[in-house]
Amino acid sequence: MKLNARVLVAGLAVVAPLVVVLVMNLGRDPHVIGSPLVGRVAPGFTLRPLDGGEPVTLASLRGRPVVLNFWATWCVPCFQEHPLLVSAARSLGDRVRFIGVIYEDSEEQVRGFLARQGAAYPSLVDPGSRTAIAFGVFGVPETYFIDAEGKIAAKHIGPLDEPSLEAKLRQAGLSP
Amino acid sequence: MTAALGRNLVLLALLASTVGAVVGSAAAARGSAVGWAWTRRLAYLFAAAMVAANGLMVWALLARDFSVSYVAQVGSLSVPNWVAVVSLWSSLEGSILFWGLVIGGYVGVATWANRDRHPEYMPWAVAVWLACGAFFAFLLAGPAQPFQTVSPVPADGPGPNPLLQNHLLMAIHPPFLYLGFVGMTIPFGLASAALLTGRLGHDFLRPLRTWLMLPWTFLTVAIVLGGWWAYEVLGWGGYWAWDPVENASFLPWLTATAALHSALLSERKGVLKGWTVTLVLATFLLTILGTFMTRSGVFNSVHSFTQSAIGPTIFVFLVLALAWSIALLALRIDRLAAEGTVEPALGRDSLFLVNNLLFVLFTFTVLLGTVFPLLVEALRGVQMSVGRPYFDRMAVPLGIALLLLMGVGPALPWGRATPQQVRQALVPPLMGAALVTAVAAALGVRRPWTLLALAFGGYTLQVTLRELWLPLARRRARGESLGRALVESGFLRGRRRFGSYVVHAGAAVVIVAIAVSSTMGTSREAQLKVGEKTQVGAYTLTFLAVDEVSEPHREAVVARVGVSRGGRELGVLSPRMNQYERQREPIGTPAVRSSLFEDLYLSVMNIDSASGSLGLLAMVNPMVGWIWAATALMALGSLVSLVPSRADTRP
Repeated sequence: MKLNARVLVAGLAVVAPLVVVLVMNLGRDPHVIGSPLVGRVAPGFTLRPLDGGEPVTLASLRGRPVVLNFWATWCVPCFQEHPLLVSAARSLGDRVRFIGVIYEDSEEQVRGFLARQGAAYPSLVDPGSRTAIAFGVFGVPETYFIDAEGKIAAKHIGPLDEPSLEAKLRQAGLSP
Repeated sequence: MTAALGRNLVLLALLASTVGAVVGSAAAARGSAVGWAWTRRLAYLFAAAMVAANGLMVWALLARDFSVSYVAQVGSLSVPNWVAVVSLWSSLEGSILFWGLVIGGYVGVATWANRDRHPEYMPWAVAVWLACGAFFAFLLAGPAQPFQTVSPVPADGPGPNPLLQNHLLMAIHPPFLYLGFVGMTIPFGLASAALLTGRLGHDFLRPLRTWLMLPWTFLTVAIVLGGWWAYEVLGWGGYWAWDPVENASFLPWLTATAALHSALLSERKGVLKGWTVTLVLATFLLTILGTFMTRSGVFNSVHSFTQSAIGPTIFVFLVLALAWSIALLALRIDRLAAEGTVEPALGRDSLFLVNNLLFVLFTFTVLLGTVFPLLVEALRGVQMSVGRPYFDRMAVPLGIALLLLMGVGPALPWGRATPQQVRQALVPPLMGAALVTAVAAALGVRRPWTLLALAFGGYTLQVTLRELWLPLARRRARGESLGRALVESGFLRGRRRFGSYVVHAGAAVVIVAIAVSSTMGTSREAQLKVGEKTQVGAYTLTFLAVDEVSEPHREAVVARVGVSRGGRELGVLSPRMNQYERQREPIGTPAVRSSLFEDLYLSVMNIDSASGSLGLLAMVNPMVGWIWAATALMALGSLVSLVPSRADTRP
């Protein structure tokens, strides 16, 4: 029996990475990660809120912790974490500023989503994803926790859950 | 008692399939007619055991026999009988049992249909089918176990997932999906048999293509029914979201469509046999990958069932099937030598190659977009979506290119075409393109991609209609009556060809309708008090009243919205919020009013019956209904070409 080596190599080249990816995802914990940006001053931005009004600059938010959430309506994990973010923003009131940054989405879609799902804090329009690129956003949702001095204290990738939100807010200087 | 009987039926299926796979392989290797006869009997036994096990489960669901674990898990005294039956596939263990029913049915029928044919291939094919069947019987006997005995017997159960009982389409979509997915086992077995025997003759390409086309038809319908269900139930006004599980059903569809075309070229020219077989194997592997995606919890999706030991078990099967396919291809593909050549010139043959290239490119694009987030997740522990922007950017040009190809390919003659033939073939359909574009532009279409899709759609439709008309015209020219010519060319002689072009016509309309509906819609959101009006497109909507409706298995808050256009009353639409027993979140059901060219789509965002306020999402979606209708046309065309022609029924 003759073996066609080219077919074997091509087949393995397609299949092996797939199998490796799937194996690595069996029984993973999606919430453990680090980021090179943590501990540095957050990149500045000036962005227009979706519902009009004055542009928001990062500098103007100094003085209390900021939760900067990159999200989109087409992203299922964003949908999952949305209620938690809204209720946290409502219950924490003035102690923390929550800011959404819209990632690769149409304004109309976002308006519809917020009308349906509720909104408690401004969502900013990020033309050309420039701010997302500056923060090194890889995919959505990603959430940055910025302390009162404007330094990135923590980063969360994937949908937030209550314990990580609390822990990371504490890292950003929120007293319990 | 019932549970014990069910467990024994599953064990019988496991026994029959395992022994059948071994006996079948031995019979194939030795060419033993007695062994082949026993393989068939074991295949029928496997089918019968699976059918009986499913029948028993349906009976238990209808009798609300909560001593059976699966019934205790998804059954409920408060659901209507149709929901009780549908519960069979509403949850993980039941859906695997249902898988067993479908694979049993397919194996039984395909074995019976080929009992006297292709004796050199069939024992191998049946052995491979039964090996796959054995795996699912093993899942049912081990990790899944729908037939556990529950003691003490609960008085009532929670009922199935409310999203699944929210619409009748949910009763139809999963069976079609299973018929499509599981059915790919049959061509997988046939292709494996071709590789194992080292032959893929003209006589065997026919059944291979037929048995591929049958599940392909179901899969096509299933994918669109899934979209229809999302549209009618989920309430966001769309029908496709590039959800990993939607992709999971789309991936094998892409490779199967490529395989249907390359098999045609193999049949006609004796070329690309190894490639055709590869595509068929890939299709099956993608169905297993898709099953793994839905059943493992690795992917986050509305479709995902809970995490369990079933995921890893399916993964093991996936790896085995991958290893089997690669080894078989590497060892045997050289035996499937080409008997002809593809003309290296512009003509229909070479465009078949472009077709295959585009479909494979499409497959890789979707596969990458689906798996890439997992890769990032594995490497960086990041959970993320690549999301619609990537898919839309990639799929739109590919879809439009395929639409054009569907026009240009069939227009050209087989083999090598002279420049003059090329001109004669390709120039006239420009009329169709111009006509459709002009009409669309007059109706206000401005977006370049939409206009391009419409132009290519017009081109392809003209070519397709001409190809449908041509054999009819030839018969008429020979003096046959119109009726006779129609019946002969459409349904008797050229059935396969005729059906294929009907499928093409449907597919062209589907692509155009997707292009128009996804770019030309309007939407409006409004917060209304009773008596207030809002406007969407040409429609005036009046919020008339809020009703509370109580049904046995759910409570609903219904908004009554009066619809009028240009002063003419069109009736009342009733979008609603359903509240299911034992389920915290309410689930909306939109109301859709379809007319020939557009749907008026109303969805409740929030509603308060006490204060009489309604948050309404109103959309006008053009041509969405055409997608459903054209898919029905595709299925019809496919069925026409599937009915065996006279040549096939001759022994």
